[in-house]
Amino acid sequence: MLENLYGTIQIFGYAMLVGILVSAVCSILGVFVVTKRVVFIGITLSEVAACGVATSMIFHFSPMVGAGILTTIVVAILAYPFESTRIPRDAVLGVTFVVAAALSILLVAKSHFGLEQINALLYGNLLFATETDLLAVSLIMLPVLVYFFLFLRPILYTFLDREMAKVLGMRVILWELSFFFSLGLVVSAASRVAGSMLVFCYLIVSPAAALLFSKKLHLVFVFSAASGVSSTLAGMYLSYAYDLPTSQTIAVSTCCIFLGAVVYFFATRLYLLWRK
Amino acid sequence: MVTVKTGKPSQPIIVCRDVVAGYGQETVLHKVNLEITAGDYLPFIGPNGAGKTTLLRIILGLLRPRSGQVITPFRNKPPGYVPQIKNIDPLYPVTLFQIVSMGLYPKLGWSQRMSREDREFVYKTLDEFDLLEHASKRYAELSGGMRQKAVVARAFVTGADVFVMDEPTSELDENSEKEVFSHLFRLSREKAKTVLFAIHSLEHIAETAESICAVNHGCVTLMPKSEFMACREALLRSQEQ
Repeated sequence: MLENLYGTIQIFGYAMLVGILVSAVCSILGVFVVTKRVVFIGITLSEVAACGVATSMIFHFSPMVGAGILTTIVVAILAYPFESTRIPRDAVLGVTFVVAAALSILLVAKSHFGLEQINALLYGNLLFATETDLLAVSLIMLPVLVYFFLFLRPILYTFLDREMAKVLGMRVILWELSFFFSLGLVVSAASRVAGSMLVFCYLIVSPAAALLFSKKLHLVFVFSAASGVSSTLAGMYLSYAYDLPTSQTIAVSTCCIFLGAVVYFFATRLYLLWRK
Repeated sequence: MVTVKTGKPSQPIIVCRDVVAGYGQETVLHKVNLEITAGDYLPFIGPNGAGKTTLLRIILGLLRPRSGQVITPFRNKPPGYVPQIKNIDPLYPVTLFQIVSMGLYPKLGWSQRMSREDREFVYKTLDEFDLLEHASKRYAELSGGMRQKAVVARAFVTGADVFVMDEPTSELDENSEKEVFSHLFRLSREKAKTVLFAIHSLEHIAETAESICAVNHGCVTLMPKSEFMACREALLRSQEQ
């Protein structure tokens, strides 16, 4: 077991550090993605980031810049308050997802890249994370994390009760835009190194489990980050020990934590009923 | 065009001049002129769809008028507001205490921590609304009446000079309804706070309100309560005949 653990650390190296950072930050921001009921935004932004990477491959500029620009544009559109329109935000997310997913494949279809290379470039793979990736991801994620906790109060109030927040003098559009913009940055950077499926998993599954574990906001953040990080470490260890695909093993580990949360939730409910 | 003024001699703090407002193609308010002075205790009465909520939203700055001018003091000091529809999603893991504390934002801003006095003030307000024992409960765990009281308590915590409430007692039982209105009236009389609220029934304010703001089909008329009651009696009698 210790040999396996040592082997895991040696083999994964930077991938482990990138995984810890990506899982913690995505799981924390994901709490508001779930509570604001914009779950689909995670997978859509991942696809938009991939589309940005594809564009950068065709026009020969940095993939991170391509992903960042396109994600920012989409985030600006999504920040519009769709509650008062005839089309719900989910429908706009759906359209964006389809366009981005199709366009990213169409853009690279005629390029000289091979299928494996395209897959790795567009959707990333945590295993191949390098020192440069760690630096790039840290430069984006750490400032976003600082921003998020520094301005947690106005962000929370804006999401909790937009109208009251506006009456109380908060610049709700600014807070909404800044949150979604940081989310876009995080998702575009994370998708490049961890893949869209894993990022989506961190954004949704970990916060959902945390919401079942606790009633208090700060504890939900702690549980969500802990769930993301522990499933990443467990997934990496299991994938090394049993020669399994890493991202998928991490995703399944996260879902196991979610199942544990469901069992805990119903067990406490039953216990309270029984005590009454 | 009708200009309505409350009967007090002091300077108006809220002024609507020739305000026209609506949604999409529909015009809800037609050239409304209204002046409200500090310390007014003013119910807005009218049937469903008359334009009460629209007028209150215009005053709050939540809706832009198509034409006309609205002057309020809210840039310097935000009002205490109770919306008709509660917008808080029970999915958020926030406690009743946190919801009510939101009212302290004008004082604390984004960075300042809550002091012991702030906490005590929130607990005191919760106690006034019989909510103290539920302070640590999640919003999702509260009944409809408790949620309604929570948003009213949040409005009081703001320490505002003007309170704007859109049907603040729609989900409360009779006793709680009486308590809220007597609290509002005390704020107006003892602390010179301006209280504007939309309601359907005159039952709990019949003895306290001096003037009534009648809203009907987008037209606003301010009149003494006695005149409003006489008009209503006449209308009811003609309907019976």
